[in-house]
Amino acid sequence: MIKLRINGREIAAESGTTVLDAAQANGISIPHLCAAKGLSSYGGCRLCLVEVKGKRGYVPACCTPVEENLDVITETPRLLELRRLTFELILSEHPHACLVCLEKKDCEEYKSTTRKVGEVTGCVLCPENGQCRLQEVAAELKLEKVRYPATYRNFEVHREDPFFDRNYNLCILCARCVRVCSEVRGAGTLTVAYRGPQAVIATALDRPLLDSGCQLCGACVDACPTGALSERALKGESLPDETRSAVCPLCSVGCGLEVGLRKGRLVNSVPKAGSPVNDGQACVKGRFLVRDIVLSPQRALRPMLRRNGELVSVSWDEALDGVAQALASKPERSQGLVLSSQLSLEDQFVAGKFARAFLKTEPVFDSPDTLALSAYRKMLQTDGPTPDANFEAASLAAAGVIVVAGADIPLSHPVLWVNILKAAMKGTKLIVWNSGESLLDRWAAVSLRTMPGDESVALDELGRWFLAHRPQAFWSSIPGGEELKASLEKASPGGTVPPARFSEEQINAFGELLDEAQDGVFFCGPGLLNRPGAEGILAKLWNLARLAGARLIPLAQESNGRGAVELWPSAGPVAEVLQGLGEGRFGSLYLAGTIPPLGAARPDFVVVQDSFRGANYETADAVLPAATWAESEGTFINVEGRIQRSKKLVEPLGEAKPDWWIFCRLAEKMGSRDFLFRDSTDIAEEISRTLPALHEVSSHHQKKGRTAFVREDRKPGSRLIASAPVSRDGAARTALAAFEAWPDIPDFYRGLNLREQFRGLRRLREKTGPAGGSREG
Amino acid sequence: MKPLTHPSQLAGWKARLLEERPAWRKTIVVSNGTCGRASGSLGIIEALGRELDRRGLKETVGLEITGCHGFCELEPNVVILPEGIYYGRLKPEDVPAIIEKTILKDNVVETLAYADPKTGRRYVLRKDIPFFRKQMRLLTEDNLRIDPDRIEDYILADGYQALAKVLFDMTAEEVIREVDLAGLRGRGGAGFPTGKKWQFCRSESADRRYIICNADEGNPGTYMDRSILAANPHSVIEGMVIGAYAMGAAEGYVYVRMEAPQAVRQVTLARDQARQHGFLGKSILGSEFHFDIHIVEGAGAFVCGEETSLMSSIEGRRAVSRQRPPFPAQAGLWGKPTNINNVETWANVPLIIKRGAEWYSQIGTSRSKGTKIFSLVGKIRHGGQVEVPMGITLREVIYDIGGGIKDGQKFKAVQTGGPAGGFLPAEFLDLAIDYDNLVQAGSTMGSGGMIVLDETTCMVDMARHYMHFTQEESCGKCVPCRVGTKQMHDILVGITRGEGKEEDLTRLEELGDSIRVASLCGLGQGAPNPVLSTLRHFRQEYVEHIQHKRCAAGVCKDLAPSSGEEAGPAGRRVKKNRHD
Repeated sequence: MIKLRINGREIAAESGTTVLDAAQANGISIPHLCAAKGLSSYGGCRLCLVEVKGKRGYVPACCTPVEENLDVITETPRLLELRRLTFELILSEHPHACLVCLEKKDCEEYKSTTRKVGEVTGCVLCPENGQCRLQEVAAELKLEKVRYPATYRNFEVHREDPFFDRNYNLCILCARCVRVCSEVRGAGTLTVAYRGPQAVIATALDRPLLDSGCQLCGACVDACPTGALSERALKGESLPDETRSAVCPLCSVGCGLEVGLRKGRLVNSVPKAGSPVNDGQACVKGRFLVRDIVLSPQRALRPMLRRNGELVSVSWDEALDGVAQALASKPERSQGLVLSSQLSLEDQFVAGKFARAFLKTEPVFDSPDTLALSAYRKMLQTDGPTPDANFEAASLAAAGVIVVAGADIPLSHPVLWVNILKAAMKGTKLIVWNSGESLLDRWAAVSLRTMPGDESVALDELGRWFLAHRPQAFWSSIPGGEELKASLEKASPGGTVPPARFSEEQINAFGELLDEAQDGVFFCGPGLLNRPGAEGILAKLWNLARLAGARLIPLAQESNGRGAVELWPSAGPVAEVLQGLGEGRFGSLYLAGTIPPLGAARPDFVVVQDSFRGANYETADAVLPAATWAESEGTFINVEGRIQRSKKLVEPLGEAKPDWWIFCRLAEKMGSRDFLFRDSTDIAEEISRTLPALHEVSSHHQKKGRTAFVREDRKPGSRLIASAPVSRDGAARTALAAFEAWPDIPDFYRGLNLREQFRGLRRLREKTGPAGGSREG
Repeated sequence: MKPLTHPSQLAGWKARLLEERPAWRKTIVVSNGTCGRASGSLGIIEALGRELDRRGLKETVGLEITGCHGFCELEPNVVILPEGIYYGRLKPEDVPAIIEKTILKDNVVETLAYADPKTGRRYVLRKDIPFFRKQMRLLTEDNLRIDPDRIEDYILADGYQALAKVLFDMTAEEVIREVDLAGLRGRGGAGFPTGKKWQFCRSESADRRYIICNADEGNPGTYMDRSILAANPHSVIEGMVIGAYAMGAAEGYVYVRMEAPQAVRQVTLARDQARQHGFLGKSILGSEFHFDIHIVEGAGAFVCGEETSLMSSIEGRRAVSRQRPPFPAQAGLWGKPTNINNVETWANVPLIIKRGAEWYSQIGTSRSKGTKIFSLVGKIRHGGQVEVPMGITLREVIYDIGGGIKDGQKFKAVQTGGPAGGFLPAEFLDLAIDYDNLVQAGSTMGSGGMIVLDETTCMVDMARHYMHFTQEESCGKCVPCRVGTKQMHDILVGITRGEGKEEDLTRLEELGDSIRVASLCGLGQGAPNPVLSTLRHFRQEYVEHIQHKRCAAGVCKDLAPSSGEEAGPAGRRVKKNRHD
């Protein structure tokens, strides 16, 4: 700790922080606009100028590192004068009638003078009104008048991109957006263009954001202290009167969101600052789609039953009776339950319990990565080692090397990417192995590329680097080492090995980086998981990671994919069900939150339990409207293995009910007394009791407010898995024909196809989607 | 030729060059710098070549093409050696007479010799001409002997001997001590002691360090740096290698603006020659010291002259200043300790090493040592590039060297220091020029622009002109510089249009004082100076403009000139914005 004085007060500050940080941490306010947490020092607004004893002139607190015995004065008449003048200059380029209006007070209290200033000056019509940093600074400096003539810079407002407008007439050039875009998100979409009075924030060649590599993550909108960047959906909308914390359900990262409500209605969602998962960052979906998903006109609002060939609205009681009777009438072993891994743990648990009790079956999932994860775990467990899949994204910076294989993380797990990027910027070496190009390559120390289907061969190639660089003693010291060595040797050139996939330099660079680095992490994504033969590839990747002393973490994609694996490790793939359907083995099918393509082969009775009128809605025999995640409480386990509880934010729309409620009531109708849960906490207790790994799901644990993780065996296994060398035989080739090198990003929430529903997301994916071009979705 | 691998080869090379030098009876040296060319020197060179050829004099009379000789007013000019006869303002038609009379018959062509415009007296020899007499051309005199295309000429002028001395006879610390003792101060304008700066860079521990030659020279009306680079590029390169040795840098950059194409061309050529001959690259002169120079062309943004912007530009990013500290010596180019010096500073280094700190520190005043090169321009009779010892008075430079004011007008002010400098009125004419005196008087040394103004200049309009420049050239990062200078400019435009208000002056002063202390870098901190110094020394002129709507110099067309005419209607609107 460093000791310094601010305004005569002794203050201790951490080395490497700035005077501004130290002052703020100690409740000393210094006005500032361009400084922001997590961004590099800029020193552009000059509002935070302070005096330092023994130094000439004035220095910006945001750019001055704390030093031992620094003696800082933050308030003198001259400093105040300088700040006022500088602020006046800022306002001379920013419509400011709202800030210094004589009728400001009345206006704020009674909204009496809304129309007295023209639109150009913004006033209460400014999208940022009420949350504008300029308003705060104006209050802090008690500014009442701007003595300098105003310049309206007359920029055309950029409205060409989805979700937010860019009105640079309100911009004060603090460059927060530029910095967050390049320093935090690694996108570098924005820059300051031109100089002097012409300076303006722009993309390269002033193209739309969508043409400039922007992922519409919205970080710039959140960084902007003015109304220059503003969410379009909020225009004309009153400010939230309440905010609540929530966990984003749209991918496995599980970002903390701050959801704004007005009169109990969902208004917007912004990333939560300080959240251990995402610390103020989100992605396009969490930032801009949450409200529209919950309030979608596609919502299923009423229970329905098919009567005389037509779906008709019925009461919950009738609907549950109808479904209970239909399910009870089907013969044993002829019923299926397909679950979405986007449902909360509680919902999934009750659903599975229901399936076992009444349908005499295990639930199946239709998310391929969840299944691959299960398979991976099964494979490792039967072989001895236990995988350790927990990690903390925020501590990735401690990793010496991060290997990303088969994942376009910036697109599939955007906020996990933020953490990987932070590590890469701090010196962690990034190795990328994919079948296509992505933003990752820009930061990679080694970029490996293979054709789909070559992965196994390529992994053997990489494995052989260790053959040459590890002594015999090493192989004999680890379980399975000898066998693996033998199998790698068998696959050596000279045998029946296909030609090399990587150059010698690439293999050496890969091997050496892994060899040098401490604490490596391998991320294995859907590009390797969601494909035929994933287990074999995972086994080899596991070996490679273990040889390098690194960890292997398979990435789930959906918000509760990890939870699904923990709850139902033996769940089967939906493909089995679909095949069974074709063979006429199913009498009923219960779809909870998913829309698998049923095609022509239908069972006698289909239950659609969803929040949206999705693909199977029209043909369903019963529709049970389910609450969205925002309308019920539930627990989710994110990609890190972190257990997060998401509170109920709003009342369910229409007659929608939480999934667990529906299953419980149905179970009661079917005569069970094992489903007497009052609320989701009851279920959480039961999960906590029955599954040791999920012990901390219990609300008792979560209330303590500490980070809860899935419990793992403390000692991860080190066993290596010998496998036969792979060649590309005909069957594998056929299987791969249908396989896409870049698995699509699952832009679904339950039965709602987000890409179809939201034009902005569709445009984004068309521009910068995984295939770099338009896709059907 | 192979690279030199031993210092002794340098002396051998020089001796060989001396031996091989043709024994010309006479040598005609043509000044072929940028302004020489602009005035037609290429035509003179062609005519001379033709004439010498025609008369079969090619073997006995030498024709040397060199960089700038300094006397821009008289370009194109030639100097005839060994006598040192000076002919200026030549036309190709004059060439036959020169050959006929001076070369063949040793007579002087009186009509081509310089005539003092005041007395009409003619001066035949260059050294007698008042323009040169009071100068002390330590850095620029060699220009006459050096064809910048030929490294051999630099070797003949004892080039790279300082480097050899440094590499083999001096430790890095000794070099820094020598530069420190010499009292050399940064010629870029701020005048920071060079030795100290080098020491800061050296004492910073790092795996690599960089040195940079700032040749972005962007002050309007200045051309010292580009003319050094174009006329004697090796002196700068030698200075840089010595500095690199002293600071332990393995790579250096010359950041030169592409708007000075001759400087770019010559310094690139010289760098390549230096590489070929072993003055750059691995094991320089056979020592264990490695150093190489990259040349980066700047695109002409004024802010790139500011060191942090310049480094940002070298790194390939937008040229934006950043807050110091950390100073470049701590974290500069690519985050490594970096030393930036101006062209003229680097050019002084070989001189100091060759002749010693003691000799060097004899020149100049107590706190400003050596000579300073100025671009003497404006309403002056003899404009040009002048090199004078520190401590010379403004009067000597303007009247003795520059020959006083043009066209019978009266001196009004002299502007030094470029857009960050100030205007000094007649009462400062006897001010001895050094860093501290100029700052005290409300101006700065700057990089060496000296613009002389006469009574036909409107000081308000001049201030507006400078403000226009700086607000356009602000990088746009910090508020006081980006917005403040624009506000000042707008006020000044108002005053020159007769729309000035009483409170404008206080507003200008308030803005100026604040911008000066609140701006991020030197550009903004210096930007108000032209306005503040005119307000200090020529306040009455502002008042005239505002209160009486009069512009005594008759420059502000919307106002009445003062010569007894009626003042025009106050605040008359102008249709077209003449300032845009």
